[in-house]
Amino acid sequence: MTEPRQHKGTEPSEAELIERAKWGDAEAFQALYDKHKRRVYSLCLRMTANTAEAEDLAQEAFLQLYRKIATFRGESAFSTWLHRLSVNVVLMHLRKKSLPVISLEETTQGTEEDSPKKDFGADDVALAGSIDRMQLQRAVESLPPGYRTIFVLHDIEGYEHNEIAKIAGCSIGNSKSQLHKARMKLRDLLKMNRAEKAGKSRAG
Amino acid sequence: MNCVELQQSLAEGEDVSSWEQKAHLQACPACSALVKELNLIVAAASQLQAADEPSPRVWNSIELALRQEGLIRPQRVPVSSFSARWGRARWLVPAAAMLLLALGIYLRREAMPDQGVNQASVAVPVANASDLNDADLLQEVADNEPAMMTQYQENLRQVNQSIREAQGVVDESPNDVEARRSLMDAYHQKSMLFEMAMDRFLQ
Repeated sequence: MTEPRQHKGTEPSEAELIERAKWGDAEAFQALYDKHKRRVYSLCLRMTANTAEAEDLAQEAFLQLYRKIATFRGESAFSTWLHRLSVNVVLMHLRKKSLPVISLEETTQGTEEDSPKKDFGADDVALAGSIDRMQLQRAVESLPPGYRTIFVLHDIEGYEHNEIAKIAGCSIGNSKSQLHKARMKLRDLLKMNRAEKAGKSRAG
Repeated sequence: MNCVELQQSLAEGEDVSSWEQKAHLQACPACSALVKELNLIVAAASQLQAADEPSPRVWNSIELALRQEGLIRPQRVPVSSFSARWGRARWLVPAAAMLLLALGIYLRREAMPDQGVNQASVAVPVANASDLNDADLLQEVADNEPAMMTQYQENLRQVNQSIREAQGVVDESPNDVEARRSLMDAYHQKSMLFEMAMDRFLQ
C-alpha cells in the first residue's frame, strides 16, 4: 500500500485528508477537525444547552470518528457520517441522563392550549420582521429537552421526520406533532421576551 | 375549516397548501399571524447551524488522546539537516529525550540499592531538567500559540502532579515494579506534551 501523495501549493481535498488521517497524519486530523468543528459543536450545544457538556460531547464524537476512520470507504459523504455519529453521541448522553429524547406524548388533536387565540401575556406583540439570533438561541435553550431535540434536528440541522423517527426511536407522527409543539413554545417564548422588552422601554 | 382544524393540520406537518387552509388563513387574522410567525422561526433556525466555535482545549484533548492511543504516527518528511528539520523548536528534542533518559537511569539505579548509589544525586537532575523544560516549553507556547497557553499550563500541572505522586510511591517502595511503571508512564505523558508542541511549532 503506498502512502497518499501531497499536492504542494494547493489545499488538500477532504478525500486526501481522510487518506492521510488513516495513515496517522496529525495535520490531517486537525484539518478535518477545523473543517467540521463548528457544525459538530453547535449541534451538541443546541441539544444540551451547556457549553462544558457540548465540548465534551464534541470531543467524544471526533474521537469516535477518528478511531473508525480506517473503515470509512466513502459510500456516504464524510460530513453526513460525522454528523450522524455526533447526533448519536448526544442522544446517548441524554438517555444516560434520563432526559427525554423526544416526548412520548402523542397528540393529533388541537387543544385549547395550542389555540392561536391565546397568547401568554403578549397579545399586542407580534413577531414581525426578522428574529434576532441570540434571542432565538436563548429561547431554544429554554425549551424542554424533548422539544429542543426535535427542533434542533429538524429545523436547525435539516433532518427529515423519517430520519428523526429512526434516530430517536419514535413514530413519524410523534416527530411531527412534537416539532409543532416545539415551534409553538418557541413562539410563546419569543413573544414574551419582546413583550418584556417593550414593557421595559415604555417604563424607562 | 376552523382554527382547531388548521392547528391540527400544522401539527401533522402539512404545508399550508390546500384551498381550505388558504381560505381559512385569508379569513382568520389570528391563524394567519400564527403561520407567519412560525415560518419566521423556521427561517431563523438555520442561523444557529454551525454558529459556535469550541474552545482550543477540545482539539488539545483530542490530539492528546489520539497520541495516547497511537492513532497519530510520525510522518516521513524529507530533510536536509538536523537544524532544517527541527528549526527553532529543536531544543525540544533533547529536552524530551533527556527526561526519558534521566528517568531510565534513575529507575535502573533504584532497582539496584545494594550497589551504594547516591540516590539524591540521580534524582536531582531529573527534577531540575523538568523545571527547566517546563519554563522553556511555556515560553515557546507563549511565543507561538498564546491561545493555547492556559491549556498547556493545565496539562503540565496535571502531568507534573502525576509525576510527583508516582515519585512518592517509588520513593517509599523502590522495588515496586508497578510503581516504577506508573512513574515511567507519567514521564511518557510529559514527553508526549513536548512531542505535541514540537509537531505544532514545526508546522
